[in-house]
Amino acid sequence: MSYRRRLLELAAPLLALLFALLVGGIFLLAIGKDPLQVYLTMFRFNLSRLDSIGSILYKSTPLIFSGLAVAVGFRVGLFNIGVEGQYFIGALLASIVGFSLHGLPVWIHLPLVVLAGMLGGMLWAWLPIVLKLRRGAHEVITTIMMNHIAYALVLFFITSVFLDTEQEMVKGLGSPQVRMPKLLETARMPTMHGFLETLGIELPRHVYLNWFFPLGILLAVALFVMLWRAAYGYELRAVGGNPAAAETAGINTQRTMLSAFLLSGALAGLVGLSDLLGYFGYLDIDFPKGYGFTGIAVALLARNSMLGVILTAILFGFLRRGAEGVQAFEGVPMDTIVILEGVIILSIVVAVQIVNWYVRRQEKLMKRRQVTMERAGGD
Amino acid sequence: MPSPVIETIGLTKAFPGVVANDRIDLEIRAGEIHAIVGENGAGKSTLMRILCGLYQPDLGEIRLRGVPTVIRDPRHAIKLGIGMVHQHFMLVDRFTVTENVILGAEGTRWGRLDRRAARRRILEICDRYGFDLDPDLAVEELSVGQQQRVEIVKVLYRGADIIIMDEPTAVLVPQEVQELFDNLRRLAKSGKTIIFISHKLDEVLDIADRITVLRGGRKVGTVKAQETDRRGLAEMMVGRPVLFSVDKEERAPGEPLLKVEGLSLKSGERYLLRDVSLEVRGGEIYGIAGVEGNGQTELVEVIMGLRRPTTGRILLAAQDVTGLPVGRVRGHGVSFVPEDRHRRGLILNMTVWENLFLGRHRARRLTAGPLLRRIVMLGEADELVQEYDIRVGSTGQPVSSLSGGNQQKVILARELAGQPRVIIASQPTRGLDVGAIEFVRQRLIAARAAGLAVLIVSADLEEVLALSDRIGVMYGGRLVKEVAASETTAQELGMYMLGSTTGAKEARDHVL
Repeated sequence: MSYRRRLLELAAPLLALLFALLVGGIFLLAIGKDPLQVYLTMFRFNLSRLDSIGSILYKSTPLIFSGLAVAVGFRVGLFNIGVEGQYFIGALLASIVGFSLHGLPVWIHLPLVVLAGMLGGMLWAWLPIVLKLRRGAHEVITTIMMNHIAYALVLFFITSVFLDTEQEMVKGLGSPQVRMPKLLETARMPTMHGFLETLGIELPRHVYLNWFFPLGILLAVALFVMLWRAAYGYELRAVGGNPAAAETAGINTQRTMLSAFLLSGALAGLVGLSDLLGYFGYLDIDFPKGYGFTGIAVALLARNSMLGVILTAILFGFLRRGAEGVQAFEGVPMDTIVILEGVIILSIVVAVQIVNWYVRRQEKLMKRRQVTMERAGGD
Repeated sequence: MPSPVIETIGLTKAFPGVVANDRIDLEIRAGEIHAIVGENGAGKSTLMRILCGLYQPDLGEIRLRGVPTVIRDPRHAIKLGIGMVHQHFMLVDRFTVTENVILGAEGTRWGRLDRRAARRRILEICDRYGFDLDPDLAVEELSVGQQQRVEIVKVLYRGADIIIMDEPTAVLVPQEVQELFDNLRRLAKSGKTIIFISHKLDEVLDIADRITVLRGGRKVGTVKAQETDRRGLAEMMVGRPVLFSVDKEERAPGEPLLKVEGLSLKSGERYLLRDVSLEVRGGEIYGIAGVEGNGQTELVEVIMGLRRPTTGRILLAAQDVTGLPVGRVRGHGVSFVPEDRHRRGLILNMTVWENLFLGRHRARRLTAGPLLRRIVMLGEADELVQEYDIRVGSTGQPVSSLSGGNQQKVILARELAGQPRVIIASQPTRGLDVGAIEFVRQRLIAARAAGLAVLIVSADLEEVLALSDRIGVMYGGRLVKEVAASETTAQELGMYMLGSTTGAKEARDHVL
């Protein structure tokens, strides 16, 4: 029974995925495309090209950090909707440290930049959690507000404080970008091309897969160990499970919530760094938004499992890369894939419920059969 | 012989893991008071839920006044004349008695609430059955006994002639119990049928005409109340002879290990605790009696460091621990069995073994650096499961899958394993069955014998009397009386619990 149950639980997300593809197919039909053709193109495009694989992993990198940040919050019973703002502030601090500290070797400068990013995320998580613990302000409300402040603040810093005014125009043509100064070379995260070459894999140059991806996986494993093997993780889960009982047992719930939320913020601070240090090399007004919110979906689908986050983040990376493919080759607007993302999230949530319900029903039926059998056997 | 008003034939209901009701044949006659007794988990609640339409049976039949009937839902049950009075009242505090009674059965005239007609009918009902109840008072101004009366009137107002009472005496003091019984007898005399669920044997023997005993989901038998006694019933319930008296050896108490001096706790302008002083010595059980909500919960929470007192001191073996956080208080050798297992005692979504180490998980032998030594913990958990006879398949199961009695054993095992000097146990046996109660009490007495200071808070007077060496009665946040257990009676304690020192009558007036 429990073996079958496991199987069902694994099958649920897959069935949901299938269902989502079906619903997505209806949308594709509605805009006059052949769904089978589109999906086929998507899979072929995603799986048959090395640059696609690299791109999928690159696109999943920020989502791993963001999924982890949200999942850690959930584990301690806090809903961190503020990952969005936290990674913006993280990117801001990382950028400042990245362009301003001259003359450091890369092995000092790069870690400093990464730490600055984490510090920024923590900083932006600190206010909401203190407000919650001291004043009882709900973190959902405060973190949402902090997101908006972060957007505005980063914009202000880019346009009014650190605007790069020394941009060289090619032959004096064009207009300058609205961005901060470029990061120093010592602050850039190297891509994985060199390492992959030693393995005999020739990753095309236009893919920016960098060392943040393995770092994300490493962090997920470390968090898994912390959560299930360390005393601190045990306390974190206890506080998340029942704060009153944890407090009664002598666990300092306030401190646990504070530290776990700051940890969530620090993870959030890493979200934007793969793009900043591994691709753009500067912070501008078009810095990608939305990773924080997608992270909520990533954590939800992974059911707050640290290792599950890796898989669900890669799934989202897969869809996003696929969107580029079908846009280029099938003329399907990218937004269709956004719809697909939404449908997948909804159907997985529903599928999990259905499986739970089904399993419970099966157990009930088995019990009933047992009773009837006992009856028939007499006693 | 009067005809049965309700009959069940082979009623069976299974849940995952248990057969809660196994082929129950029940026959309840019109106008009788029929008690259903059994340990927790014997299937009483399930049976009652089937009768009032909350559950559908898997097998079997219900005959109502001789007619096979399917009771679809609680609304249908009340239409059929079956009403249930729940253990936890379902009343709106701010509403008046009348408003509460008509809630959900509002009669309207021209689309307007007809409060006046409702009030008239409520007065009629009270008159006919001799209930003392003012329909215009807000429920929050009523005593617990009166609130229960409102629940009964609610059921009568809806036309029930079969009334199911689920553990009605659990919340009452002895004086209120007598009043309830008088009311029930009057109801029965006027032809109403009463099904009375309880696990308190004395009460059942006092009130019931016939008694049906359930055990492990099956019916053991139905007996006439006059033809049995406490011992016989208990044996039917448990399936073996039961010891009632708690054997405590005489023991000279030692040093005071827990001392509370002039403790007060204010919430706004209200005193939740007022100048409470007491001491518990090693080898002594100190019982705190009182109607719930008179400061017991607050007293215990303040001692444990869950709340800060407004004034006063708490001393543990002469060391001042006032205002220290829970962890530090526990560090001084205090263990705590909280009154609400699910709220404060357990983390339900965590496993049994994880719950067995809650708060003790940082002990040096259990950690290696930042990591927990799982193997050591699992081994010790298995030992505790053995020692405390916790019925569980594997300690890796979530603690939520255990029965209430086994959950309480998990807490007890955890709290006693820490080798405390002081144990504070709130409602240590609430909701447990006879077997588990015996076990918990023996453990507490063993702790006393080992020289620990034990403070128990219990709403169950019999328990306080049986276990304690000394008893303090709390009323309105004060410790109004302190007596040696050997020199008092339940009646006397009940009086103090109602806030009086002069008599029950006056006590009642005072509460009103």
